[in-house]
Amino acid sequence: MSASNKSNFILGPDDLVLITGAAGFIGKRVVRSLLNRGVRRIRCFVRNSTPPSKLQDLRSQAGMAELDVFRGNLLSPDDCRVATKGVSVVIHLAAGRGEKSFPDAFMNSVVTTRNLLEACLQHGGIKRFVNVSSFAVYSNTHKPHSNLLDEECPMEIRPEIRGDAYSFAKRRQDDIVMQYGRNRGVPHVLIRPGVVYGPGNVAIHGRVGIDTFGIFLHLGGSNRIPFTYVDNCADAIALAALKPAIEGEVFNVVDDDLPTSRHFLKQYKREVRRFRSIYVPKVLSYMLCSLWEKYSVWSQGQLPPVFNRSRWNAAWRHTLYSNAKLKDLLQWQPAVSTHEGLRRYFEAARAMHEHA
Amino acid sequence: MLKVAIVGCGKIADAHAAQVQRISGCEIVAVCDREPLMARQLADRFPIKACYSDLQTLLVEAQPDVVHITTPPESHFDLAGICLEAGSHVYVEKPFAICEPQVQALIRLANERGLKVTAGHDDQFSHVAQRLRAAVGSGFLGDKIVHMESYYGYELSETGYAGALLGDKNHWVRRLPGKLLHNIISHGIARIAEYLTDDDPRVTAQGFSSQFLRERGENEIIDELRVLIADKSGVTANFVFSSQMRPSLHLFRIYGNRNSMILDQDQETLIKLRGAKYKSYAEKFLPPVNLAKQHLGNLGTNLRHFWARDFQMKFGMKCLIESFYRSIEEDAPVPIPYREILLTARIMDEIFSQLNAESQPSATEQKLLEPPPAAMAVVHR
Repeated sequence: MSASNKSNFILGPDDLVLITGAAGFIGKRVVRSLLNRGVRRIRCFVRNSTPPSKLQDLRSQAGMAELDVFRGNLLSPDDCRVATKGVSVVIHLAAGRGEKSFPDAFMNSVVTTRNLLEACLQHGGIKRFVNVSSFAVYSNTHKPHSNLLDEECPMEIRPEIRGDAYSFAKRRQDDIVMQYGRNRGVPHVLIRPGVVYGPGNVAIHGRVGIDTFGIFLHLGGSNRIPFTYVDNCADAIALAALKPAIEGEVFNVVDDDLPTSRHFLKQYKREVRRFRSIYVPKVLSYMLCSLWEKYSVWSQGQLPPVFNRSRWNAAWRHTLYSNAKLKDLLQWQPAVSTHEGLRRYFEAARAMHEHA
Repeated sequence: MLKVAIVGCGKIADAHAAQVQRISGCEIVAVCDREPLMARQLADRFPIKACYSDLQTLLVEAQPDVVHITTPPESHFDLAGICLEAGSHVYVEKPFAICEPQVQALIRLANERGLKVTAGHDDQFSHVAQRLRAAVGSGFLGDKIVHMESYYGYELSETGYAGALLGDKNHWVRRLPGKLLHNIISHGIARIAEYLTDDDPRVTAQGFSSQFLRERGENEIIDELRVLIADKSGVTANFVFSSQMRPSLHLFRIYGNRNSMILDQDQETLIKLRGAKYKSYAEKFLPPVNLAKQHLGNLGTNLRHFWARDFQMKFGMKCLIESFYRSIEEDAPVPIPYREILLTARIMDEIFSQLNAESQPSATEQKLLEPPPAAMAVVHR
């Protein structure tokens, strides 16, 4: 770690940082961001199935730093114990993504997090546990500041009724980290990114709309999309791991100059590919979600409860976002502007579309 | 009020909890998982009063009348045994046990204790499967079943189950004698077992790893299986399991000496094929009209079930559970005869034994099979 950073960061020169999900979309950028900030010892926790090419990408970034790769399974307490040995800071990025089953998502998010926390406590000496969470944990209702979704927005009380396994698991994951902080004294920071985008994740986010019914239903309308470009998000995570005096804090991560859903969709169609979409006004989408929810209950699950008022509030309600706390306490600034981020995103999406 | 417990709080436990809660006259009193967090998440969501991480404690404290075992298959035998010893009836998810001797031992124990068991072959209780059973019972096929074909497709995808399985060399599925097949094929085999008349059919199995798996360096898992089954009375059957065929079928064809039927599990359709042919050109025009009429009839039936809120994806499971509970309360016959559970296990044992005995093809077989798939087993009993 460089001399100028020593006084600003909580890590000493020989302190070791463990990153779970290090070979993933965000993880590899977090590694780079840490290295750029002078961190000299990093351990990357990757799955057994991670292809060697991805590890080569990681190793090629290391330069003079010590970067070792630990292959394992976070569901194994033994693997967690070995991986956390001698570690000062844990950045926990790995999570059960894309799973429709609640138990699977829970197991791969909550049980794994508990295993890591227990392992940290067994070794002692943990300076910080950075848990990478999501906007999916917020209810986006009863907010203290009108339409503004900031760190004070209440979390979903019954995340299971949203019908989204990922939201449920992330909410419970945050709970368990906070419990370990409160009851077992684990120093922790919660990072909640909005929609992380960039080359490598070029799907159109559900906040813009859905194509479940054969035609793209545009549901976002004039809503701002809480985008954060993947490199900017990685910087925020790295700073949350390094900055002093932020224990117990929660940080939302969104970029500046967020585009509206309508603007994004128009640009996507122009830059990537043309397709038909229908705009569904908010009143109508809320009514449809409400009807679907009622029918799902009445029919005892004949239709799964995937559309409901809770999801509408979280994904399609008109909302404003803030990154003031991030800028204030972590001195974070988005290195990539939204204009440039979207240009790179559309370029990658176009290349993928042309390859398909 | 029948007291129910669920042991094993993974993915399939959700389906059990949801279906049990739709049945009147019963209550889930406890859930159990050796990982306390998993037990708690299920109890929180459904909601259920008590959760445990130790089965013995659950059995003593909650005293369930019925226990649903929804753990990975290798634990089924031990857990079911413990529950039966404690005096609970047992519903075991498929596959019922790892091998036929285990199935026999559990059925024997249940009989000794005056208890009942059933296997999670819930596909056989869907609306369409019940219609097929009724048609067979009414003699539609004739006085003899000649042949059956059971297709069972399974889509492997990088992000889903295959991703977890391929990435984990210690995955529990790999420890099963039939590996991936062991965890999946019982639905398709049980369909055949129901209509076989002989308890010791001849089985010939051939299996290999698909190109999809081999390209990912996986030669241990067999995901393409072809089986020929023949019983002594002359009834024959084919079973096909494939991860690569598209569409991924869940189809059952049953041919009698008078007529035949085709059941499509995914579409919930039953098509009756007339044995007699029309004369001359009428054979080219009338059957398509008849098929169109039948498809429309299936559409109407499905819509009626949907309108009546009786068309949940797991309707078959609800029906099987309900029938099992009724058999307990009324001391009536179990919904799946023990013979059928045993025969399913026996056929599966034979398949896996053949695949495992010849997991590497001989040089001659390599030449005969173009291109030579890895991990191929060709054995004739």
